[in-house]
Amino acid sequence: MTTITESAVRRRNGPDWWRWTGRLFLVLLLGFTVMPMVWMIITSLKTGFAAMQYPPQWWPAEPTLQNYTRLLDPSGRIGQDFLHYFWNSLWVSTITTILAVVVAVPAAYAFSRFRFPGRNFLFFAVLLRNMFPAVVFLVPLFILMKALGLVNTHGSLILTYLTFGLPLAIWLLKGFYDNIPIQLEQAARIDGATRFQAFIYIVMPLSTPGIIATSIYSFIGAWNEYIYAYTFLTKQSQMTLPVGIQRFFSENATDWPGLMAATFIMSVPVVVLFLVLQKYFVRALTEGAVKH
Amino acid sequence: MAGIVLQHVMKTYGNMYAVNDVSFTVNDGEFVALVGPSGCGKTTTLNLIAGLLPMSGGDISIGNRVVNDLDPKDRDIAMVFQNYALYPQKSVYKNLAFPLQMRKLPKEEIDRKVQDAAKLLDITHLLERKPRELSGGQQQRVALGRALVRDPAVFLMDEPLSNLDAKLRVQMRSEIKRFHHNLNATVVYVTHDQLEAVTMADKMAVMNGGLLQQYDTPANVFSNPVNTFVASFVGSPAMSLIPLEAAGNSLRSPEGWELPLSPANVRKAAGSTTKDIVLGARHSTLKLHKSAVPGSVPGKVYTVEPTGDVTFAQVFINGAVVNISLAPSVVIAPDEMVWIEFDQDRMHLFDGATTMALQAA
Repeated sequence: MTTITESAVRRRNGPDWWRWTGRLFLVLLLGFTVMPMVWMIITSLKTGFAAMQYPPQWWPAEPTLQNYTRLLDPSGRIGQDFLHYFWNSLWVSTITTILAVVVAVPAAYAFSRFRFPGRNFLFFAVLLRNMFPAVVFLVPLFILMKALGLVNTHGSLILTYLTFGLPLAIWLLKGFYDNIPIQLEQAARIDGATRFQAFIYIVMPLSTPGIIATSIYSFIGAWNEYIYAYTFLTKQSQMTLPVGIQRFFSENATDWPGLMAATFIMSVPVVVLFLVLQKYFVRALTEGAVKH
Repeated sequence: MAGIVLQHVMKTYGNMYAVNDVSFTVNDGEFVALVGPSGCGKTTTLNLIAGLLPMSGGDISIGNRVVNDLDPKDRDIAMVFQNYALYPQKSVYKNLAFPLQMRKLPKEEIDRKVQDAAKLLDITHLLERKPRELSGGQQQRVALGRALVRDPAVFLMDEPLSNLDAKLRVQMRSEIKRFHHNLNATVVYVTHDQLEAVTMADKMAVMNGGLLQQYDTPANVFSNPVNTFVASFVGSPAMSLIPLEAAGNSLRSPEGWELPLSPANVRKAAGSTTKDIVLGARHSTLKLHKSAVPGSVPGKVYTVEPTGDVTFAQVFINGAVVNISLAPSVVIAPDEMVWIEFDQDRMHLFDGATTMALQAA
């Protein structure tokens, strides 16, 4: 009895220290994550000379968009290369995403609805990949890709990204299908649909949020991946953005403003995608957490 | 419309028999209730008729056509589900139109049929709404509408009322009954509520443990239950069952008293495979006395439940709970000693070993 009264009194009087400590912690965390991004944008607006100044210019004295125009100018050499990398990344990520959805949707549906021999084993086998760091597979996959003649092709990356992205995609989507009452499909089948039509007309539309979340996840994974792209691709013309951007390090001295501008442009598609579709993403991650 | 014939229908999961050799015939235009406790195989049987599950054995025909290998969509059936299974992303109109669209009917005909069904069920004002914007009763109507819009040969209903509150359930019960009457529809209706089965159905199929226990009109099931399971399942309050022993022309209780039997009942009791006999009696056939009269047995009052126009009492006789209905004017108290008189013409005798009803030889 006494303890309850005491804590109640304490809650009413004076500031809530726990709450303020928590807020302070969140502010620090926010600064920690946002600062590098802010610094990236600020640096990308500086000239090469200004970027190297010490003490640093907190705000560019002569802000310039020259780094961006250089990167996006198709007539210049740097612009040509950059746009080429951008296109490569877009191509690899988009194809990966499409294939991931094409494979994950039926796979997740099968895991959710059918009872077949080896179902549990297969399901956990799918997840097994996620229990090892990606680097572990670097050498074996490289040897495999070499044997398949896929080194220096985008196919090698698409295949690799698929194997990395699919486990979570299938897991996520299975959760979605588990939550769709089987009676809906049964009703559709009685109403005159084949099993496939019931899936297309009734189940698919209901799992759209899951499919969108899966797509974002695959796309971002493929878009940001560096190690495999660096290992599998040696030809300049094939390189994706994360690898291609490296060139700003090597040529003469590091072109920091150029690098930052390139990084910023690279992050734009992901951020836009996420902002537009984030409500689906959150819904997908929390789906099934509580019973409706 | 069409009838349904089930012959030796089986459904097994491993060595578990979900539906075990079930055979019955639903005549054209009949309302048949499949009733039993949960896990008795009634829903599985319905799903087998619908074709949603593959059969392990037997034959099912709908309208003189064997449908064993037909897809649900080709069986010309409609189904109402316990959770209604309305398509959540579609409006009520589109829910009703879906079965017609799948059958590629022309647009004008679809519209006409949807409007007709909506009018019949009084849901015209809801057509543009989404299912989640409807109340339980309205969802139920839409589910019914989606079933009847296509004019199928057979209606299958899987506990359609169990998600409704008590008051609405009684109302929808009469509406479904009326709907069956107006359409002269063949209906197979699954329920765990024996009262629904008794009040709505032309015939009821009582199932337990995957086996069909009895298939008859509710009146016959009520008055002539084939075994103690059916006897205790159908009727509210349930038939009271008292385990006793045969002793000459009477039944003997381990408590010491004997209940003399009429000549007809003596002949029935003689058919028992062992001495063990279960005496069954419905509450309305019993008379309560405050002192011993011939043909009565002693018991102790357990609870008294007045409901207004009738009072129900539970009396312990020979360790078994016996339900009895009394006029409200009768005043008894818990733990009071009373004497219960049995109606020899309306009592039931069951074989204590096989649980089957004993018939006069």
